[in-house]
Amino acid sequence: MDLPIGIYLMQATHGLVYGMLLFLVASGLTLVLGMMGVLNIAHAAFYMLGAYFAYSVTLHLGSFWLSLLISPAIVGALSILAERFLLRKTYKGGHQLQLLLTFGLFFILGELVRVIWGTAPLTVPVPKLLAGDISLLGMTYPVYRFFILGFSFLILLGIALILSQTRIGIIIRAAVSDADMVDALGTNLPLVFAGVFGGGAILAALAGVVAAPFLSVHSGMGLDALMDCFVIIVVGGFGSLWGAFLASLMIGELNSFGILWVPRLAIVFQFLLMAVVLIARPSGLFGEKE
Amino acid sequence: MNNLRTYQLGLGIAGAVLMLLVPYLFPVMYIHLAVEILIYALFAVSFNLLFGYSGLLPFGHAAFFGAGAYVAALIFKNFPGMSLLLTLLITPLFCAGIAAVIGFFCIRLKGAYFALISLAFQMFLYAVAMKWRSVTYGDDGMTFNRPDLHLPILGTVSMGSIQNVYYLSLAIVAIGVLACYLFLKTPLGNSVVCVRERDIRASFLGYNVFLTRYIAFLVSGILAGLAGGLFALFVGFVNTACIDINMSMSVVLMTVIGGTGHFLGPILGTAFYVVFQDWISSLTKHWWILMGTFFIVVVLYLQGGLISLVSIKKIRLLVSRWSKEDGNHIENR
Amino acid sequence: METILKIGNLYKDFSGLEVLSGITVEIHGGERHAIIGPNGAGKSTLFNVITGLYKPSRGKIYFLDKDITGLPAHKIARLGISRSFQIINIFPLMTVYENVRNAIVSRFNCRFNCTTFLHRHRKIDQETNRVVELLALGDVRDTLASELSYGRQRHLELALTIARDPILILLDEPTAGLNSEETRSAVQLIRQVTEGRALIMVEHDMEVVFGLADRITVLNGGALLATGTPNEIRDNEEVRKAYLGRK
Repeated sequence: MDLPIGIYLMQATHGLVYGMLLFLVASGLTLVLGMMGVLNIAHAAFYMLGAYFAYSVTLHLGSFWLSLLISPAIVGALSILAERFLLRKTYKGGHQLQLLLTFGLFFILGELVRVIWGTAPLTVPVPKLLAGDISLLGMTYPVYRFFILGFSFLILLGIALILSQTRIGIIIRAAVSDADMVDALGTNLPLVFAGVFGGGAILAALAGVVAAPFLSVHSGMGLDALMDCFVIIVVGGFGSLWGAFLASLMIGELNSFGILWVPRLAIVFQFLLMAVVLIARPSGLFGEKE
Repeated sequence: MNNLRTYQLGLGIAGAVLMLLVPYLFPVMYIHLAVEILIYALFAVSFNLLFGYSGLLPFGHAAFFGAGAYVAALIFKNFPGMSLLLTLLITPLFCAGIAAVIGFFCIRLKGAYFALISLAFQMFLYAVAMKWRSVTYGDDGMTFNRPDLHLPILGTVSMGSIQNVYYLSLAIVAIGVLACYLFLKTPLGNSVVCVRERDIRASFLGYNVFLTRYIAFLVSGILAGLAGGLFALFVGFVNTACIDINMSMSVVLMTVIGGTGHFLGPILGTAFYVVFQDWISSLTKHWWILMGTFFIVVVLYLQGGLISLVSIKKIRLLVSRWSKEDGNHIENR
Repeated sequence: METILKIGNLYKDFSGLEVLSGITVEIHGGERHAIIGPNGAGKSTLFNVITGLYKPSRGKIYFLDKDITGLPAHKIARLGISRSFQIINIFPLMTVYENVRNAIVSRFNCRFNCTTFLHRHRKIDQETNRVVELLALGDVRDTLASELSYGRQRHLELALTIARDPILILLDEPTAGLNSEETRSAVQLIRQVTEGRALIMVEHDMEVVFGLADRITVLNGGALLATGTPNEIRDNEEVRKAYLGRK
């Protein structure tokens, strides 16, 4: 294929942007998985809700920036309610119970989205401040995408700092390592769980808000995100944040170039990657061997 | 023969007679519902073989149901002369092949990972069905004529009448469900349960955990595929809805609501699901949310499912009131 | 006396932490061999490596002159090595009968048999009942395993271990949690069912060890400290220092 270097660069940047967004979503999922042993399938629905709320806030209140505050707040509150009144009841019941519950929740939320917002895809306009393009190596590239990159990077830097420097961050990391011990030491474990759960949901919702002008807002976006996150966890390794980061970038690029080369079968690449990883290194690229 | 067994046998015979007389007792609309219940019941039983009995929860089980529907539909459409019975034989075999490939990857994983990788494979097949329009017609779907059934003594039976479709479905589903039941009574069936209970202990007793689970996966895929093939015959139209996430979710709902701890649980759950859907969807188009809510209520507060309300213990209590039954028999799952 | 098990220079490390270092020991037919050592000495890991749960990092294991190093657990079990667990690992929601039957089905290689009904299989039924009786569990035959008393569960654990008629039995702290009377009857039972077979036993109760063992191996910090008869071990200075204290 004789495409100018600019196209490859553009696709690569596109992949990077998509990958960072994915990591924003996947990181919350990985943290909750590592700490509570729960793969919260409804997490992908939080991402979708974030995008849909962004649509409504932007539409009715006229400001995209407001939605960056309001949407994650609403989703965060919803997630904490869900944890407190639904998920908490399943901790004693075993993993399959949690799976059923979170899957059911994912489904109901998806259905609610369809009921409230309809099934047609919605567009969220890029905020005026970030509209327009930048010229880069002969190709024009939307400013907004660099915003996404920068924003995601800042958020993730913030998370990394919180986890490594603050007291609450240390407690969280300890709980990921050994929840029982943290409990025995007297920390209010349910509170920590709820906090991380809500925090993860807020991250996912933020990703949804930011993604809304970039991708279209449609009722299948939760499922897309779920599948992508799952591939990320399998490839990156269960419970490894670093692995999830690298895997997210990989999936982002794979998606991007897959669409470039084989548009109708882009999904195949993800499958191949997952299949190869499962055969060669079942615990993921960075996962811990059992 | 003790009284509990007599009661169960009596109930079974009454149920069988009732099922044979459905086309004569009920109007056409209800026969359609009955066929739907039969087909989904087989699907749910195949699901429970994996979930209740093997301890594996797949979120993408529609992969086999849908594959079965598509294979049958493709044969009906492109090879209209092929014997119906042969098609219903080829379909599950083809699904066995698909299960053999998918299972190789899925069985390596456990818990949530198993659930989601099975969903991933189902979404993959869904994407194939969507995009391969030249063969599958995408989400527009395929229509086809239902072939006649040629039987050795009884002659040709047209599948145009719902009564005939009902009887064929009843026969096939009965065979499938019975096969599953008998399978669970063999040593292999015991291995499946044994591995579910304590897989490490089982492997130290000499059980090959992977292979045991793999076989259960194959059998489950075969039965689901058979159900899918029947579905194609029943509806006369197959599109991507047969192989999408809603179909996967439906069978989860049916089985869990019915109860995974008893062989008949999924059948009860399917009957409830189909009837409830038929009733509620005439009142509101958002019946899914009600069903989903009911599902969550069952998951949180009634883990034994609906069948636990009609449990053997209750029947035993009932029976012991009018006999001297001591009720000490443990129901073998 | 033939050598049943030969362990040669066995090493096992987990992500850099070396848990077993250069273990070499031979077990003979009919021998009762105890493995003792302080907590964390690697005793359970040794069991797990022998029975195939873990692959050794280095070294070899030979069973009846066959190299079984790195074989999966189920294959090793079928060759004739059975183990019990320190934390009781029975099938809780099955009856005692069904528990033992699982082992018998495996012994007769019927695991993949799908042509007969399990409850009609005479031989399996007979053999299951025989083992149930042998372990004095006849009266709780149809009780759910989770409803048994702890002592009875230990019997069931032992039943599962010997039901396959193994050549080599590995018992991981078989008297853990038992009071002195239960311990005495457990030792009696162990002596009875392991007659003529090779036995390797991890134990902390020194009375049990010195009463039952023909030979003893002492582990400390993953390394082999000493191997010998009970008297030799009792007199061994290093062992005394490391483990037995002033006994």
